[in-house]
Amino acid sequence: MPLYTMLLAAATASLFRMLAAYVLSVLTALLIGSAMAKNKTVESILLPILDILQSIPILGFFPAALILFVTYFPERIGVELASIFLIWTSLVWNMIFGVYSSVKSLDPSYNDLVKAYNFGHAARFFFIYAPVSRRSLIANSLVSWAGGWFFLTSAEVVSLGSSEYRVTGLGSFIIEQFNSGNLLGFYLGVALLLLIITLTYFLIWNPAASKNLGLNLPSFTAVYDKIHDIVAATWGELGELSLVVEKRLKKFEKILGFLIRLSILVALVIFALNIIAGLGSIGLPNFLPKMLAVLYEIPITLSRIVFILLLSLSLSLLVAFISYRSVLLGGALSIIGEILASIPAIIWWPLLAAIALRYSYGAYIVSLIVFLQGSFWYLYFNIIVYGLSSIRKDLEELSSVYKIRGVPFIRYVFVPSLLPSIANGALSAWGGAWNASVVAEYVVVGDHSIDIGGIGALLNRLAIQGDAEGLVVSALLLSSVIVLINKTLWSRFFKYIEGKYGGED
Amino acid sequence: MSGISRGKVILSLRNITKSFTEDSKTLKVIDGISVDIGEEFVAILGPSGCGKTTLLRIIAGLEKPDGGEIIFTSKDARIGFVFQFPTLLPWMSVLENVALPLRVNGLSWQEAKERARKYLSLVGLASFEDFYPRELSGGMRQRVNLARALAIEPVLLLMDEPFSALDPLTAESLRSEVLDLWLWGVTSVRTILMVTHSVDEAILMADRVIVLTARPAKIAGIVDINLPRPRDRRSADFQALEDKVYELISS
Repeated sequence: MPLYTMLLAAATASLFRMLAAYVLSVLTALLIGSAMAKNKTVESILLPILDILQSIPILGFFPAALILFVTYFPERIGVELASIFLIWTSLVWNMIFGVYSSVKSLDPSYNDLVKAYNFGHAARFFFIYAPVSRRSLIANSLVSWAGGWFFLTSAEVVSLGSSEYRVTGLGSFIIEQFNSGNLLGFYLGVALLLLIITLTYFLIWNPAASKNLGLNLPSFTAVYDKIHDIVAATWGELGELSLVVEKRLKKFEKILGFLIRLSILVALVIFALNIIAGLGSIGLPNFLPKMLAVLYEIPITLSRIVFILLLSLSLSLLVAFISYRSVLLGGALSIIGEILASIPAIIWWPLLAAIALRYSYGAYIVSLIVFLQGSFWYLYFNIIVYGLSSIRKDLEELSSVYKIRGVPFIRYVFVPSLLPSIANGALSAWGGAWNASVVAEYVVVGDHSIDIGGIGALLNRLAIQGDAEGLVVSALLLSSVIVLINKTLWSRFFKYIEGKYGGED
Repeated sequence: MSGISRGKVILSLRNITKSFTEDSKTLKVIDGISVDIGEEFVAILGPSGCGKTTLLRIIAGLEKPDGGEIIFTSKDARIGFVFQFPTLLPWMSVLENVALPLRVNGLSWQEAKERARKYLSLVGLASFEDFYPRELSGGMRQRVNLARALAIEPVLLLMDEPFSALDPLTAESLRSEVLDLWLWGVTSVRTILMVTHSVDEAILMADRVIVLTARPAKIAGIVDINLPRPRDRRSADFQALEDKVYELISS
């Protein structure tokens, strides 16, 4: 196949894969998020599970993807589904939490409304829970869409031990071109990828954010308006259809409710049995050294992440202050941010291979860039996009009346106003950095493998050895440690920020 | 004290009790309320937090009583509920907000909107059907709330302090509009039950005022308001009734 045809086929495939994963994410986020917000049992079961799943790096999902899809489906379809599933795992969690908190914070009088006027489940979902989640879904889509592209290569080239599965796509195309020494193909692939990412932001996400969130991001609205009409019409039809279906099924309500509950229970039991069987087959003697290895590697990555977070914070505050001073510059910086944030991690390695392989500290420099890329943007987006618009007009007027400028302004007005969004951004950046460790600490470039140690490198080594149990156990342990730190350190930090800087209302 | 309803009985409450549990403490809010309600306008009056809103929510089916019985005598037990705050869906137009409960309960969108239009024009909002809630004033939003309740064509209309969130002037004009709708008989409503903490409002509007005690709520007394409408707040009869109600509250 000629290069250009291959390139186009790869780009189309990746775009459709991203779209499929995205649509799937929106639907799961709406269903799971509103179920969690409205049902105490579902909430108490799913909230801790989602906390853990959210912190599992994409490599940790490889065994699940392969077992779930490649084993049970014909290979080509199975691999495709596995790839979409992996992209879904890097999009969906923050969207679920977004829907959950939107529906949860819905005024209780709406509960009375739906009860007083006999709204069924479908009516509640389509007319209340889904619309109330719209803003948070869009805000989260901006971040998720970048995250999906960032891990694209990891989702398109799935390897576990000796078995490697590839799907046609830009992520796999770029890495293949580089490995076969075809630099023209490599650079064309990177260029096309950047073009697609830029276009999707200009044409879809930025207009969506501008129209729904009151933000001012550079955008073209014509395409978005068409897409919006199509989506709104489809969603409306879907809503009407489910109203009809629910009405028809009303007679069987009790039986259906029982069946649904029964099947969830059965699924949970099977799931638990599998986990117990899995743990049993690993056996304690094998299990302990693996856990110790994880606990040994975590501090190495932790120290890197703390450094990255401090660096990200200072950089984004600097950029925030610059774009606060100039609206034009702010707009330009936000689109540059969106594009840079979406560059798949693995591209940096071949792109900067010269540095990584030539100098003794080269690998650390490239690793730093990849780490930064996987975390910096969360802070950046939160501060630039959400933080700057939350600086209150009256405080600005106060500062200009009393001539508070320069450093005192930054110290007493600017930074305190931004603190709630800094805290939100820092928490996401922290999670993002852990996830990025699997692409920042280990990579195979051509014939060389670069390994700078740490938990991300460990997970990669386990995947290459084909040690599926070790991979899952280590990923779970890592994510439990992260959740533990979140629940102790971060939650205190949040309480403090919320109490002191959360605003008057 | 008058416990006899006017016209045929629409709704009977029999020994309703309700408690809430909070921090392992049980708080009794309603303690054995029994009353018959006919085709009439009844105001339920009581101090703040006495459980009058809870009583209304129990009648509406929003909460279950711990004990007692609620008996609707008419076959068609449709209930309209006017919330204290408008509780409109901000992503839907005024017309859609009023039509939605009808659509959800089986009408097609077209039928639902047709009927919603009729009730929007009854509350004077005919030309605002394409507006969104955020574009309306507080009084107009409360009218949409009222139109939504009337549109399901209920026999019984429940109102939970419907004028308390409005400024005094808007509240006064909406009061007289509700009374007009009630007196003209242009709606399907045969009975209105309104919760209020304003003695003046209760006597101005209702045929009977049920006065509740402070928590737990019991019936302190029922006062018949046999004044001709429109009622004059400054008349001696009005003042006398006010004194009577205040006496019941403080006893």
